[in-house]
This record gives sequence, structure tokens and C-alpha cells, in this order.
Amino acid sequence: MGTKPVLVVHGGAWAIPDEFAERSILGVKNAVKNGFAVLEMGGSSMKAVEIAVRALEDDTVFDAGHGAVLNADGYVELDAIIMNGKTLAAGAVSCIRNISNPVTFACSVLEKTPYVMLTGTGSNQFAEKLGIPQVPVEELVTDHAKAEWEQYRKYKQTVKSLFNTELVHDTVGAVAIDCEGNMACATSTGGITNKMVGRVGDTPVIGSGGYADNLVGAVSATGHGESIMKVTLARLILFHMEQGKTPEEAADSALHYMEKRVHGRGGVIVVSKTGEWTARFTTKRMAWAGIKEGVLMYGLNPGETIQEILKPSK
Amino acid sequence: MKPVVVVHGGAGRIFKDREEGARSGVTRAALKGYSILKQGGNALDAVEEAVTSMEDDPHFNAGCGSVLNEKGEVEMDAIIMDGKNLASGAVSAVKCIANPIKLARLVMEKTEHMLLTDHGANLFAKAMGVPEIPGEKLITERSRERWSKNLEPDSNPHEFKKDPGTVGAVAIDNEGNVACATSTGGLTNKLVGRVGDSACIGSGGYADNHVGAISTTGHGESMMKVVLARLILYHMEQGMSPVDAADTALNYMKTRVGGLGGVIVVSNSGGWAARFSTKQMSWATVKDDQLQYGIYTGEIHTSSVAEALESK
Repeated sequence: MGTKPVLVVHGGAWAIPDEFAERSILGVKNAVKNGFAVLEMGGSSMKAVEIAVRALEDDTVFDAGHGAVLNADGYVELDAIIMNGKTLAAGAVSCIRNISNPVTFACSVLEKTPYVMLTGTGSNQFAEKLGIPQVPVEELVTDHAKAEWEQYRKYKQTVKSLFNTELVHDTVGAVAIDCEGNMACATSTGGITNKMVGRVGDTPVIGSGGYADNLVGAVSATGHGESIMKVTLARLILFHMEQGKTPEEAADSALHYMEKRVHGRGGVIVVSKTGEWTARFTTKRMAWAGIKEGVLMYGLNPGETIQEILKPSK
Repeated sequence: MKPVVVVHGGAGRIFKDREEGARSGVTRAALKGYSILKQGGNALDAVEEAVTSMEDDPHFNAGCGSVLNEKGEVEMDAIIMDGKNLASGAVSAVKCIANPIKLARLVMEKTEHMLLTDHGANLFAKAMGVPEIPGEKLITERSRERWSKNLEPDSNPHEFKKDPGTVGAVAIDNEGNVACATSTGGLTNKLVGRVGDSACIGSGGYADNHVGAISTTGHGESMMKVVLARLILYHMEQGMSPVDAADTALNYMKTRVGGLGGVIVVSNSGGWAARFSTKQMSWATVKDDQLQYGIYTGEIHTSSVAEALESK
């Protein structure tokens, strides 16, 4: 008998303003349904997380792909990672420009190179070699991202103060386990508004922005990137699970440690090798959604879980 | 706390004609790091100084002497981490500067970020007044030779993996603070923009006053897949000694993902280890005014610091 597949997605951990709340919830619900359709047909967890994250990248309400925030030069630089829990193979990209779907590019790094990570100019050169269409930056930038960038430049807010007031758009991600018990994770972001040119956060750094291992589980993280890196958050959570903690206990333990030790906040989605899963966060809100055994669960505010029974597909 | 410094000059295949240069380079770096600690200096300064010494030494695949990417240019990665508050700075794919480890430290101390890449890293270097040097100054005859040999159609790609990459250092100072630093030119003939473990926190290095500090070397992609530095510290958190933790993790990396490498470790109680699953790794350590160093498994030379300094 096969494993019951699970897919969980998040659309960023931060003080999501009410004006974005509804679209964020719709966005994560849409993404999780798209991704789960792959699993339902017996597809792989790798494909499922890629499809789910692509949907989130294409959705301008999230800070990834379309809708990404701007760096100090007013440009869009994107980071992403995808990881295969069976082989521990991973693909990652940092500071790639002018493409729609960094998560798919990260997949290409995994499948078409002997490497784990490509960056900057080199990554764009490889994208060109693969025939990935170049997208003009204007197409990736929303009015909102531009307005926010202008506001931050005006008041010269630092990254820390940005985060303390939790006015930061954020990252998207997904974790999954398929019917063969294979696990995967994927994370994608445009980073922090007005970040220094070339700033790379946790997202593409293996063990920080995400990690997947069939022997334990899969994690995708979001929140204050620098803090997530300092504690290698994704790997830390799996370590707790190796010690016997449930996904929820492991997530809470690690997030609490991150807050205490390095004063950073964030959120994570986790799935274990037995199909248990959780979505936890220490920020004001995190948009998340998960599907397992015909039930869709989603939430935004702390402690909130809304359930929907899904109609069985033909 | 008795201060300790451990350095490595890369795990992999070291040709016989390069052995002397490697031994000499790591001992010089270790002595430099130790002199800072002996005078009451901190672990961060010690590891930076040790790695700078090896970046400047054309024998090693870091700074000058770095291998070349497929286009024949030098692109470097480096990381430094402070075990006290888990602060860290790193750069990836940076070009035309002599000391990436110094730039990584500036990222840590002068920005609110942890990793700068590519063009952005070079912009930051300029803003910090770090002198830009012509790329050719970092290229040695040897690295150019290897690069052109690997371009030949019948060259064996697996041979690339065997060559030593990366330099690094770990230290604990007399206040018990630990730090790590790692720097590399990467893989010879790598794709432009390929980033390995050395820029990735938890993979190329990690430092935490609660446990210890690590710097790694070897097959970068394998170390990233198992987040090697952080894995070793987990084992130590569970009670393993630095040697057991290192051996367990290196063995796991070999069996799970088929990768070989080497690590240097210092624990927060002053224990240390230099272990490798490759045939060779140049390493050196100074503790209690005693210098130890080696290249092959089981090879350990010992001398007093005084003797070593005299012979230099």
C-alpha cells in the first residue's frame, strides 16, 4: 500500500495587511490545489512542489517571480531552491534576473548540471543557453512593489526596522510527500525591499530556506532571511524530528530558538516521512494551505485553521 | 581557555611536487593565527588572518592560485562566522579582489545582510574601498594549465573532483569564543556562476559558542547536500567528540551521496580534529605552543612553535 500524499504551501510570514489577506488566502488555496492534482494522479513530490510554487510565483500578491520586491537599484533579483528528499539532490539559484519562474530554473540546475547552486550573471547565461524566455523587468514589477520601494528609499528604513515593523513582503514555498513516500521542498523569493544589490537571503541556501530528506521530512521556511540562515532553520527542524519531536513541536522549538538566540521571526511548513504536517509561525500572520486525504486546511492568523472537504475528482 | 587554531589547505589529491608547498603554507597560516590568539586577540581575527595568508599563497585554491571557471576567469566564494552571536558574512562569485575572506568579514560587520553575490559583491567591495585588482593577478601558471587541459575533448571530468579545493581555519580564543572561515576558487572549469559550499552557511562552515566551529573542504555539492558543517556540530551536541563527529559525518556523506571531503573542528572546550575521507588534506594546528601538521592519513609532525618560527 502506498503513502497518502500530502502537499502544503505558504505565501510568506509577515504582517500581511488586511488589503492583501483575501488574495493571499485565495493564492495559497489555488496553489495547493494545483500542486495536489499532480500527487493525486500519482505524480512525484518534486513535480508537485514545482507546480505549486510556480502558481505562487505567477501570483502578484506574493514576493516571488511576478510581484517580487525591488533591490536598492530598483531592480528585481530572484532566489529559489528545490530539493529531492530521496537523493538529497538540490538545485538553487541566487540573484537571477528577468525570468518568470526561478523554481523551474532551480529544477534545471538540479537536472541539467552537476551543481547545486548557480548565481547572478552566470545563472542568466545558463538560462539563455536553456532557451528560457527573458522577461522584461517591467513585467515582473507591480505598482505596489514600486510604491513600497519608493517609500523605503525616501525614509531610508533599514532592513531590521523593516522587519520589526513587519512590513515585509515575503517568500513562497511548498513541501510534499508523494504516494511512493518521496519527499520534496521548494522555496522562491524576490527578497527584501531595497536590499543591497546582490543580497542573498536564506531561500536558496540549502538547510536554511529549505531541506528535504526521505529519512526525516521536508521543510520550507519564510521570514527574516538573515536570522533563518544563522540558525540553519530548515535543517534544525529536521534535526529535532530525528530526535523524536513531531513536526509541530520541532517547528515551534526551532522558531522559538531563532527568536531567542538571534531575535528573528518567521514561519515554516513541515511534512514528516509518515505524512504528518504542520504550518507554524512567530510573525503576525502567514498565509498557508495544505491538502491531505480529501481535506483542504488553510489559515492566516495565529491559531486559525479553516477546513474544507474537497469534492473527489473523477 | 587555552587558545587553539586549526587550518586546512584543502582535501583531495595533492601532487608530490606540491606537498612541500602545502605543508609550508598551512604551517605558516596556523602560526600566524596563533600569534594573534597568543597576544589575547580574538578567534575571528585569528581565522581571518590564517585564511588571508592562504589566499595570498599561490599554492592554494583560494585568492591567488584559485582555479579558473570555464571562461578562464577567477570567481571566488568565502564565509566567516562568529560563534558568539551567530553573525556571519559571505560572498559568492566575487572577482578581482585579493582577499574574499576580508570582504566576507565586511559583509558581516558593515551590512545587515549575510551573503552578497556576483556584481553586487563587487559593488560593495568598491564602496568599502577594497582595491580592485586585475583578474590575471590571481591566475597562476598552474591553474591556467589545468584549465586548458580540461578543455581538451578527451579530458576526464571526474579528475576535476579530485583536486584540492578551499582553505579554511577554525579557532577558539582565550575568552572561549569560536570562529570559522573558509575561502575558495571553486571547481576548475566550473560553469560561470557556480557556487559551492564555501559561501553557504552550515555547509562550508559554521561556528557556535555553545558547541564549536567547523570549516570544510572537498566535493562542494556533496557537502551542501548533507549540510556538513552543521551536521558535525549536531553530533557534537549529542555528545560525540570532534573526531567521532567528523568521522561519522564524513562517512555519512560518502555512503549517502558518494562524496569525499575533509573537515577541521574545534570544540568549545578546546578539543580539535582534522579528519578527511580523501587520501590527503593539508592541515596544521597550534595549541599549547605546540605545532602539529600533516597531509596523509595518520601523518602527524610535531614541533614547538619556537622551533617552527626559527626554521621559517
